[in-house]
Amino acid sequence: MTTDKEVLIKVEGLEKKFDNLEVLKGIDLEIDKGDVIVIIGASGSGKSTFLRCLNLLEEPTGGKILFEGTDITDPQVDINLHRQKMGMVFQQFNLFPHMTVLQNMVIGPIRLLKKSRKEAEENAMALLEQVGLSDRYDAYPSQLSGGQKQRVAIVRALCMNPDMLLFDEPTSALDPEMVGEVLDVMKKLARNGMTMAVVTHEMGFAREVGTQVIFIDEGVIVEQNKPDEFFDNPQSPRLRDFLSKVL
Amino acid sequence: MEQFFKDFGESFYNNLIYEDRWLQLLEGLGLTLLIALLATALGLALGFIVAIIRSSYDMNIKGKKKKGFGVFVMKVLNVICNIYITVIRGTPVLIQVMIMYFIIFGEAQNGTLAAILSFGINSGAYVAEIVRSGIMSIDKGQFEASRSIGFNYRSTMMLIILPQALKNVLPALGNEFIVLLKETSVAGYAATHELTYVGNLIRSRTYEAFFPLVSVAVIYLVLVIILSWLLKMLERRLRNSDH
Ligand SMILES: Nc1ncnc2c1ncn2[C@@H]1O[C@H](COP(=O)(O)OP(=O)(O)O)[C@@H](O)[C@H]1O
Ligand SMILES: [Mg+2]
Repeated sequence: MTTDKEVLIKVEGLEKKFDNLEVLKGIDLEIDKGDVIVIIGASGSGKSTFLRCLNLLEEPTGGKILFEGTDITDPQVDINLHRQKMGMVFQQFNLFPHMTVLQNMVIGPIRLLKKSRKEAEENAMALLEQVGLSDRYDAYPSQLSGGQKQRVAIVRALCMNPDMLLFDEPTSALDPEMVGEVLDVMKKLARNGMTMAVVTHEMGFAREVGTQVIFIDEGVIVEQNKPDEFFDNPQSPRLRDFLSKVL
Repeated sequence: MEQFFKDFGESFYNNLIYEDRWLQLLEGLGLTLLIALLATALGLALGFIVAIIRSSYDMNIKGKKKKGFGVFVMKVLNVICNIYITVIRGTPVLIQVMIMYFIIFGEAQNGTLAAILSFGINSGAYVAEIVRSGIMSIDKGQFEASRSIGFNYRSTMMLIILPQALKNVLPALGNEFIVLLKETSVAGYAATHELTYVGNLIRSRTYEAFFPLVSVAVIYLVLVIILSWLLKMLERRLRNSDH
């Protein structure tokens, strides 16, 4: 290999229709190992749908998604195995309310990765420590603040030792004073080389750790660039218009 | 006044002590409990299966253009479940008991078994609707989070959805069991000597209604109070385990 790039995901002509509503109209994207792809766009433009297609929470109606070389849109593929390597963090956290923080984190590794409870718990505690929540391992989700919940949700995804993380507006449901603590965790992950695809309205985050920023509008990628170019020198009128509204 | 107590005592003796009638009542109670317990177990099993089929159908197949043998099987199962629920909830339990005993069992000796089966099948339809509403009340995000970790549909149901759904519907399920316990009082129509049947039998022997019927009523009442208390304890235990 002459290049140190390693392609993790290759999306080709991705389409998604809900009945007659065409939400994604042919999206092409390559995500390399270590990339932090930030996806922005107006509400309803298809950002969530795109992200959810990547781990097949939504079934694409056209195109291909090659994840680590396998076309996961092929019905023959066991998607559950690929999802283990693609963690997802949701706007609404979606922690399991009937389990403690620690139980939330070890259920996947124990049941799916067949780790021993001891190993899974040690790993989970070490990760909790890194996000400053090791003293809350025994709490139930309802006893945590929004920011704490989202940090736990991130750690839950990390416990599966994924190759990539998907974030769908991870800070949008948070009170403003809690946004920072979650973004800090995400920035740390990005700097440590985690491959991430992040839908967010946090332009500061995009600039700071994004490797590529993507603007989706009406179901297509209108513009894609490195953060500095993207924000300082937007090409398309639609992006300029969008940025003028949000910045 | 003296005469009243004398009559009362005599009546008590005739209806409850003479010929060991209290013992007959006790045996009737035993049979009532047996029917209620086994019917509850059957009802729970049936109800869960039907609820899982119906909600899986609603979530995975309804309104989607999926094809294949598995989808076909699910469609057929869903129709069967719907018919089952409609028929059971649309007819009186007494008629169901009699159909089971006189037609399906053809008056074969085992009325108790006929009663257990018909109450179990009856209860299953109600349990199914209760559990299904519980499953449907769980936020969609719980499914998605579980699937995104890599759990398949089945594990997601067993580990994430059902435990939460069950806790939510426990009061409704408890109520269903109490109703079931009281409904077994018509099992006498299947020639089962359960509590109500025995009470009525004593009444027809002594030509006195008060003691036999009130005793039976008191026994049901005590059972229901105990059952309600147990359910409340269980609910509290479960509630303390989170939120
Ligand atoms: N499950 C669904 N069924 C039907 N329409 C949907 C569904 N999910 C999303 N949509 C529609 O797809 C469009 C894009 O939605 P979404 O991807 O959530 O946008 P964004 O995340 O950019 O706000 C919207 O018009 C939305 O109403
Ligand atoms: Mg969205």
